Amino acid sequence: MKTLHTISKSPSAKLLDSCLEVIDETDGLLFLEDGVYYAWSGFNKSEFGEEYNCYVLKEDLSARGIELNSSDDISVIDYPGFVDLCEHYGKIVNWF
Amino acid sequence: MTEQLKEFTFLARTAPYGSDRSSLLLDIALASSVFEKRSNYVFMDDGIYQLLKGQNADLIQTKTFGKTLEALSLYGINDIYVLEKSMKERCVSEEDLMLDPVVLNQEKLKFLIKNSRNLITL
Repeated sequence: MKTLHTISKSPSAKLLDSCLEVIDETDGLLFLEDGVYYAWSGFNKSEFGEEYNCYVLKEDLSARGIELNSSDDISVIDYPGFVDLCEHYGKIVNWF
Repeated sequence: MTEQLKEFTFLARTAPYGSDRSSLLLDIALASSVFEKRSNYVFMDDGIYQLLKGQNADLIQTKTFGKTLEALSLYGINDIYVLEKSMKERCVSEEDLMLDPVVLNQEKLKFLIKNSRNLITL
C-alpha cells in the first residue's frame, strides 16, 4: 500500500532527513504549513524531487510569500488536490 | 551601527504562521515601545522567513504577518537587522526581504547583544 508522507516544519527541523530514511520509492511527499519552505527557490529540490512524487500546498506557499509553479521536481496543488492525494494514497504519515 | 546602550534587543527566530511565537515577540516589542526606550529588532534563523515579500495569509484565514511587521516603524523601532548567516543558509537575498533591514554578521550581533540591557528571544 502506498503512503503519503507530509512534512509540516521548515528545513531547520530536519524532518525530511528522517522521512527519507524510511520512504519507499512508490510513496509520495507532501510539503505543507512551514514545510513549504523546502520549495523556496534556493533549495536543491532535485535531491528528493527526482526520486519521489512531490507535492506542495499552494495556499501555504502564497501565505508565506513564495511564488512557485509546478515543475518536474514538485507539483503545486490546492486543497481539492490534497483531498485527491488522500484518496490516491492508502496511508498518510505526518512528520511534524 | 549605533554604539549607544539599548534597552532591548529582540531576536525573532521562528517562521511566521507555523506557531504564534513570531507575533508574540512583535507584541512584546510594540508594548515595550510605550516606554520610549531604544530597541533592536533582529531576524535570525527561521525568523528570516518573517520578512519575505509578497505574503498573503488570506488563503489560510489569518492575518498577513509581513504587513503586521510594518507596525515596528510606526512604534519607533527602526533599528532592524538580519543575520547574514541565516540568509545564506536559506538562500534568501536582500531583494527578497521587506523593511530594508541592516545585514549583520555574527560579530556585530554579539556587539548588539552586549550593548543591550535585555535580550528577548522567541
